[in-house]
Amino acid sequence: MLAVHRDVLNIVQAKFLSAEIVRSIHLNVFTLEEVWSNENRILALVEYNKSFALFVLIASKQKPTSISDLSVETVIPVDEFFSCDTELVEESQNHIIFIITYKKIKRAFKIEIGLESSNFASEVIRSKEHSLYNKPSFVWLDKYIGTMSQPSRSDVSEQDDLPITRHQIAQGQTSINRESMLKYHLKLKEAEYTQKQEFTIFVGTWNVNGQPPTIPLSNWLAFDDNPPDLYAIGFQEIDLSKEAFLFNDTPREAEWHKFVTEGVHPKAKYKLVGLARLVGMQLVVMVNNKHYPYVKNISVDTVGTGLLGKMGNKGGVGVRLELHNTSLCFVNCHLAAHVEEFERRNQDYKDINARMNFRKSPQAIKDHEQIYWLGDLNYRITELTTTQVKTLLLRNEMVTLLKADQLNQQKERGNVLLDYEEGDISFKPTYKYDLHSDTFDTSEKARPPAWTDRILWRGRGIYQVAYRSHMNLRISDHKPVSALFKSEISVIDPIKYRKVHEDLIKKMDKFENEYLPQVTVDQTEVVYDLIKFREPQSREITIANTGMVPAEFEFIKKLDETSYCKDWLRIIPYCGNINPGNTLYDFDYFVLNLLIVGEKCDVKLEVNLETDHQKLYDILVLHLKDGKDMFIIVSGECQKSSFTSPISLLCRISVPVMQVPEEQWKLAEKLESSVRYSVPRELWLLIDHIYRHGMKIRDLFESSALHEEIIRIRDWLDFGSLDPFPGTIQAAAETLLLFLSYTKDPVIPYELHDTCIAAASNYQHCKQIILQKVPDLHRNVFLYICLFLQELLKYQNDNGYDAKTLASLFGDILLRDQIRNSKPQASRGKANFIYNFLVNDLSTSIIPAK
Amino acid sequence: MAKKTYDLLFKLLLIGDSGVGKTCILFRFSDDAFTTTFISTIGIDFKIKTIELRGKKIKLQIWDTAGQERFHTITTSYYRGAMGIMLVYDITDMKSFENIVKWLRNIDEHANEDVEKMILGNKCDKADKRTVSKEQGETIAREHSIRFMETSAKANVNIERAFNELAEAILLKTAGKEPGDPVDRVTVDRRPTNTSKSCCN
Repeated sequence: MLAVHRDVLNIVQAKFLSAEIVRSIHLNVFTLEEVWSNENRILALVEYNKSFALFVLIASKQKPTSISDLSVETVIPVDEFFSCDTELVEESQNHIIFIITYKKIKRAFKIEIGLESSNFASEVIRSKEHSLYNKPSFVWLDKYIGTMSQPSRSDVSEQDDLPITRHQIAQGQTSINRESMLKYHLKLKEAEYTQKQEFTIFVGTWNVNGQPPTIPLSNWLAFDDNPPDLYAIGFQEIDLSKEAFLFNDTPREAEWHKFVTEGVHPKAKYKLVGLARLVGMQLVVMVNNKHYPYVKNISVDTVGTGLLGKMGNKGGVGVRLELHNTSLCFVNCHLAAHVEEFERRNQDYKDINARMNFRKSPQAIKDHEQIYWLGDLNYRITELTTTQVKTLLLRNEMVTLLKADQLNQQKERGNVLLDYEEGDISFKPTYKYDLHSDTFDTSEKARPPAWTDRILWRGRGIYQVAYRSHMNLRISDHKPVSALFKSEISVIDPIKYRKVHEDLIKKMDKFENEYLPQVTVDQTEVVYDLIKFREPQSREITIANTGMVPAEFEFIKKLDETSYCKDWLRIIPYCGNINPGNTLYDFDYFVLNLLIVGEKCDVKLEVNLETDHQKLYDILVLHLKDGKDMFIIVSGECQKSSFTSPISLLCRISVPVMQVPEEQWKLAEKLESSVRYSVPRELWLLIDHIYRHGMKIRDLFESSALHEEIIRIRDWLDFGSLDPFPGTIQAAAETLLLFLSYTKDPVIPYELHDTCIAAASNYQHCKQIILQKVPDLHRNVFLYICLFLQELLKYQNDNGYDAKTLASLFGDILLRDQIRNSKPQASRGKANFIYNFLVNDLSTSIIPAK
Repeated sequence: MAKKTYDLLFKLLLIGDSGVGKTCILFRFSDDAFTTTFISTIGIDFKIKTIELRGKKIKLQIWDTAGQERFHTITTSYYRGAMGIMLVYDITDMKSFENIVKWLRNIDEHANEDVEKMILGNKCDKADKRTVSKEQGETIAREHSIRFMETSAKANVNIERAFNELAEAILLKTAGKEPGDPVDRVTVDRRPTNTSKSCCN
């Protein structure tokens, strides 16, 4: 690897986070799309957590020396959509074309054939292979998208496709930031709503050597015929006192400000924009009154680089502002003194840049569109004696002298004020003069004259029209310098701006609407077939993501309801997350293109009838997080059943429930018809069957019957079949338990449970409750079952049951809890209560019922 | 944290009988488009749109509701957070106009007390099929002191105006209370039990 290559690799790496590793770079890449452009690009293959991306960086210099020389042009994730290829160049044997395609984007770069290109290409191909075996995530690229450089040409068509896929952004947790998006796009479209207008800017600098102002400044500040639009006047050493140095407080600030105010061009009125001062450094920025309304976001900051690297005897002060739509930054500095200290000066310059931080965006000096750098930079003329310098000056050999100027030398080497421009110097060195004269230092030291006081600039559309010193201001050992600029400021056309702005807002709204989660459901009405007791039915609905983002759905409860669905319904799953299809997101057009339809989720809606209903009906609310709600209607007719019916109703009908005419049913429901049986017919049939066939069966109630068997018995009872009992004796026993568990009301009414449990230790009390408090038909059922159980106990040698076991089994059923499916409450108390009726003679209790 | 691109967020609601054109009105306003295919809204959907009023950027979050009778009890639970409600009827459908009174009662029962209301007689492009006169619309609006406008989502008549006027009415009401105070976030909570009052309070 060449040394140059390694140096640049280090700089490129510095552009990224440490976990983002620059695997390979290629220097001196030229794009083929812009034939007129000779911008130097660097391709960098960067890896983060096993995902690769190709960065196209624009280098402002052929050999970048710092990260500020590099800007991100495009970011291309290396994934399944990425491919690269090479093509030969017809007119050149030494070059090759490197082509990168990503979805509909295609970029072609011309690179030199050699070791570098073959290494780079093989790294890229390897990363592509790697991506196929991994599922790379590109969330880490998000932060680079915002930093992508604005297109320098008006033709932005190449920039239009940014290959960042949509779901990666969505999963990046950060939703689109509308404000930065708006800003970014407004800047891109700047040309559409602005026009360049020329402003004259007067920049002056003067090291006043601690002298107070005693002479008018108009010879300096109003030197030109026409008044400038903006002034930036910098002073150094306005106060050399200890107080100023230690406490940064000086009366001179106001004095010099006053003299500046009085010395500006008389043909115009000016208003102060910003004043920054640190010890002896002072910068005053003023603007012609008529432009004042268009100045905004003013901010000032100061940086000391003097003693201890932070004191304000040296350093810089800055004022930043926006004039119309252009950001301007003025920096007045006073760098380290002494001939040999040029490296210290370079360092001071770097420190000022690094530490100056305006509290308005952009915050750093370098990020402003126009920068004017002025001050006593303190660079000297080297390798020439005072006499030599003076002789050369007399002979007017400026070229020789300027070659010996340290600033020119250091700048040439890239050590300071990189990218800054300076006008030709035609004036004499501005340091060091005898006070009140135009004579160079005649003291013992006889310092060689030097151009310590300079004005430079950086940015587009800045044209210097004058650069001079002002010899007749003689109170200091320096002469003031000034430069006059014609600078292009982009001025907003309010009508056009409004149009562009509105347009962008509209697009962002559209974008935001498209960004809402969207799903479709294949059916919004779910109708079940006839729903029967304990015969679950399920229907499936399919929720498909038809939007651009992952959709998080959940069935939510309606107002005043305790659950998201009724107890007869189960929704599986009731919440979930459905991913969208693969989409392509286009930053510039705010367009999301759906490439593949999204994922689907099947939701099972299962009904299970365990209570008496004629009809099931509910509206489910399917809610999308941060999105809409959809309604899904579920309904179905229910089949009548003796199970779930009230005991009081069943005792009033003499035929199976399915044979009962509607009016008779209604009368029985309202308890208006007469009682036909003392216990329900179905109960009698079940117990009679067990009595006749099952009294000696061991573990009668423990074995579980087939579901279909239970269903058959249910229908046998409900329809009143003449067929023999359609199930085993165990199925009959289980059906009996089921029947007693699902009667509309429990055999012992809920409100008596506590009383029963409390009375459990006293049989007489228990008996009283049954005789006096339990309704007649329920009492019949209760005693009927107890007698049956007593009968069962007679065969306990065969069936293995004892009174305690049966009491415990039937306690939970005859005194069943209101809320089902939870562990039965107070089982022991209920069992004790029942136990009384299994071990005592009930004959006296039965008589009253007859 | 970057500044928001809007100063205020207003939640608006569209209600009215099924088929009067609520979804079309919203679609016209948000996307400036119209579609003739009728798909009944089964649920609650919303779109956002940013408008500028009196120098303020106002983000409207407009909720479109299912109009079908069977959903009424559910949809009313979405009224509470709304700062403005558009009651829409169809000028070619007398029944939908007569039901306005019922919808107004619904608002009284379920919406915030100070909710801004506006009645829209939609489909005014279908002059030949008109069964509700403009005067009838104006009369009922006057009786209840509510703004009124005839609109057409299809011909794009008065749609933008209607939303702007409703938003302006909310803005005026809001303005007196907390001047220049940007709304941080209005929760789009559908549950009326939510006691956090929206920004207009």
